[in-house]
Amino acid sequence: MNLALVLFYLLAITAVGSALLIVLLQNLVRSLFLFFVTLFAIAGLYIFALADFVAITQVIVYVGGVLVLMLFAFMLSNRTLLSDVKQGLKSVFAFPKWQATLIATGFFAVLIYIMQLIFAQDPEWIAQAKLQHQLIGVNDNTVRYIGVNMMSLYVLPFEVISIFLMMALMGAAHLARKEEPLS
Amino acid sequence: MDQLSPSSLAVYLAMLVLLAPFGSFLLSALSGKKMKSGWPATIAIILSLIASVILFFSVWNKEDVHQGFTWFTIGQHRFELGVWLNNLTVLMLLLVCLIALPVHIYSAVYMKGDEGIHRYWLFLSLFCFAMLGLVMASSLLTMYIGWELVGFSSYLLIGFWYTRDAAVRANKKAFLINRIGDLGFLIGIALLYGQFGTLDLNALFGADGLIGQASIDSQWWRYGNHSLPVMWLSIAGLAFFLGAMAKSAQFPFHIWLPDAMEGPTSVSSLIHAATMVAAGVFMLVRVSPLFSSEVLLIIACIGAFTAFMAASIALTQNDIKKTLAFSTVSQLGFMMAAIGIGQFGVAIFHLVTHAFFKCLLFLSAGAVIHEMHHLKTAHGLDIDPQDIQNMGGLRKYMPKTFFLTIIGAISLAGLPLTAGYLSKDAILIYAFEWAEIRSSVALLIPLTLLLSSALTAFYIARLVFKVFYGKLRLNGTSVDYHPHEAPKGMWYPMAFLACASFFFCYSYNPLVFEEAWPLNGFPRIEQMERMNIYHTVIPALVNSIAILGVFIAWRWYAQQKYPLSARGGLYRFSFAQWHLDHVYSKLIVKPLLFLSDLLYGFDRRVVDGFVDLWSGITRRLSVLAAWLDQYVVDAFINRIAQLAFVMGGVFRGSRQGKVQHYLLGMFLIFFIVMLLGLKFL
Amino acid sequence: MIPLSHFLTVSAILFSIGLYAVLSKKNAILVLVGVELMINAAALNLVAFGRYDGKQYEGQIFALFVIVLAAAAVAVALAIILSVYNHYKSINPDDINNLKD
Repeated sequence: MNLALVLFYLLAITAVGSALLIVLLQNLVRSLFLFFVTLFAIAGLYIFALADFVAITQVIVYVGGVLVLMLFAFMLSNRTLLSDVKQGLKSVFAFPKWQATLIATGFFAVLIYIMQLIFAQDPEWIAQAKLQHQLIGVNDNTVRYIGVNMMSLYVLPFEVISIFLMMALMGAAHLARKEEPLS
Repeated sequence: MDQLSPSSLAVYLAMLVLLAPFGSFLLSALSGKKMKSGWPATIAIILSLIASVILFFSVWNKEDVHQGFTWFTIGQHRFELGVWLNNLTVLMLLLVCLIALPVHIYSAVYMKGDEGIHRYWLFLSLFCFAMLGLVMASSLLTMYIGWELVGFSSYLLIGFWYTRDAAVRANKKAFLINRIGDLGFLIGIALLYGQFGTLDLNALFGADGLIGQASIDSQWWRYGNHSLPVMWLSIAGLAFFLGAMAKSAQFPFHIWLPDAMEGPTSVSSLIHAATMVAAGVFMLVRVSPLFSSEVLLIIACIGAFTAFMAASIALTQNDIKKTLAFSTVSQLGFMMAAIGIGQFGVAIFHLVTHAFFKCLLFLSAGAVIHEMHHLKTAHGLDIDPQDIQNMGGLRKYMPKTFFLTIIGAISLAGLPLTAGYLSKDAILIYAFEWAEIRSSVALLIPLTLLLSSALTAFYIARLVFKVFYGKLRLNGTSVDYHPHEAPKGMWYPMAFLACASFFFCYSYNPLVFEEAWPLNGFPRIEQMERMNIYHTVIPALVNSIAILGVFIAWRWYAQQKYPLSARGGLYRFSFAQWHLDHVYSKLIVKPLLFLSDLLYGFDRRVVDGFVDLWSGITRRLSVLAAWLDQYVVDAFINRIAQLAFVMGGVFRGSRQGKVQHYLLGMFLIFFIVMLLGLKFL
Repeated sequence: MIPLSHFLTVSAILFSIGLYAVLSKKNAILVLVGVELMINAAALNLVAFGRYDGKQYEGQIFALFVIVLAAAAVAVALAIILSVYNHYKSINPDDINNLKD
């Protein structure tokens, strides 16, 4: 029981708890803000997986981009949208639907079971990696490695995804335009 | 002509005799309504007459001619179609043609203007053809065919004026009674065929006939390897006699003949006086070797009884033709009695003479009726032209008819110098001789015949006096009626027939019948000495009684001194024809009608009811099946379809269009697949 | 350090929660949040396994790409939600059922 583990559990509990609250609360605004917390917690979990660059990227892109986008889109849209969303809030907690609960818990059970089954001992490639000491070290310069790999090994996906992003943005902009009144 | 042997010439002549009327029949049938004149029929009869005269002279007392060919075979049995010309045949052929010719000429005048005249010639030719065929037939089968055809044409001719209800009833009655006789004839034929294996007349009844060769003892009637109990011999004889009884109107089958007077008078004269009714006598003479002594006795009894009965009825009838009809029945009774006492030749002789004078009497009655009918239509009277109570004093207006009728009447009465005298006295004398050699009870028969001839003289005299003497009873009112004489076409034939009613056609000796030439053609059966007391006593007795009867009739009718009451019991009994029609109606007709009603009701209610029941059941079952089909079978199918529809609807309802439901389903499936993969399911 | 199974468990929990949110929320934006949660759980999984790939850093790079894609998805999704709202006047997924039978 060292500090890392405790911190890990702390972060994990934060993430899971806030996620639960997202789905349990009726209030949309509160759910969105709780999503903030979840995303931050997940970024913390990334760090414990020795993926610091990914963690930072998560914070920057997700929290700073996606979530802000959602908040802006939500808040800066029509009043009627706001009011519509605000309607139907009867109680603080949204009662869970049984079919969804069932499926969700089923999935969870299955996933845990698979995990138990397969990863009771290390898979082969992990064991080999452990033997060959090819794990990501704590003190490794992940930025450097990610940059090198990105430009050499993964340059094609990198380019494609940039075009993809552009497409997505254009599409979103088009979709969200105002309808011209028919003359 | 030397290659034609006499016998084949005779056969050709016989064919001509037969086929000339048939040709006229076909011509009439094909011409339909256009055959108004009687010339084809008359010419045909003239041809037949000429041929039969030639035939007569070539066959009478010479060799028989027998020719035929096989008509059809059934298995082993051959049936022949052919002619047999012996004495009897040619005599009958001549008789038929000689009677038919005057009747044809007379008919042309009598039936003039009748709208059905084409049918008349058709049926008359058919009748002549059938009668001639019957006479010259060589086998019992072809004779039977002719017999039936004669009955059929009689039916057609009696019902000639078919719009009259009385005529229709009369011809039905005639045909039915004839059928009964035909049944007898057929049974006789069957018995003979079964016993002897052939129907050929010559073979059976000829000189060396098979009938004679059959042995008869007290128990069996044997021929070859066929044997029947001896009772069947009598039954066969009686069966044939039954046929003759119906055809020749003997008691109790005589009732059709008076009603047959509904036909035209010329028809009555030809068929119901001279030829058809004589067919029965002819047939009996043909079949005569068959009869045993018991059968002959029965024939004699019935003949005598019929003679008496019919004569007694004829005493009181008021219709000319009915009187003459009963007279015919009575004279046929005489002929039957002659057969019964074994004198076949005498019977045929009486048949011949009777044909002539009876035909004459009918034709003159027809002339009178014709005149009365003219008076009726000319003056619009409501009378029966045949009722003698409306006539009287006609000798002033119709002298020729009167004269010719007198000749016919005295021939019927059997007064000397006529043909009737010869034949009737022959019968009476032989009857007394026959009774002499039997028991005294047998004397009844000759006595009955004697009484009958007395009555005969009386009734024919009554008829003559009532019709021709006195004053015309129609002249009760101020109008004086003047009947006319019969036209030439009518009284010429009558004159010819009157000539044939005298003795000189038959014998040189007017008083002794044995020298009559027709009797020479037949085997003579003498039972006693030739000249015995009967030969003188009987003629004297008969004639004196006849003259007495004529005198009484003269006093009563001509001088109107009628002493008896017209309402006496015997009178009414006789007038109602001995109530026989009544008896038949009650005894036979009504029960038959009742039985037929019963059967009809049975058929309708039980049989049809049974069928209706089943049809009702079937109908109800089909209704049930339809219901089942509609509500069970179809419903079943429909329910399945509805189930599919409902299930589809159910599943359709699950498509709410809600995305999250789709997602739920998708993840559920995915979950199940995962479980399957993990081998949990 | 931290055993792999811990990460996987956390990831599984997050994924299930996200799944629940997708299936049951009556608000399209919250459905979107659920989708994001699921994507994040997957990225966490990737990163957890990527710890053992020191040569090619595949896990982490993949996680980066995932983040980018998620961002793009959110952008487009929000645009769609706006457009849908303009048409249907509601962002309740249950109300958008014109494709129903």
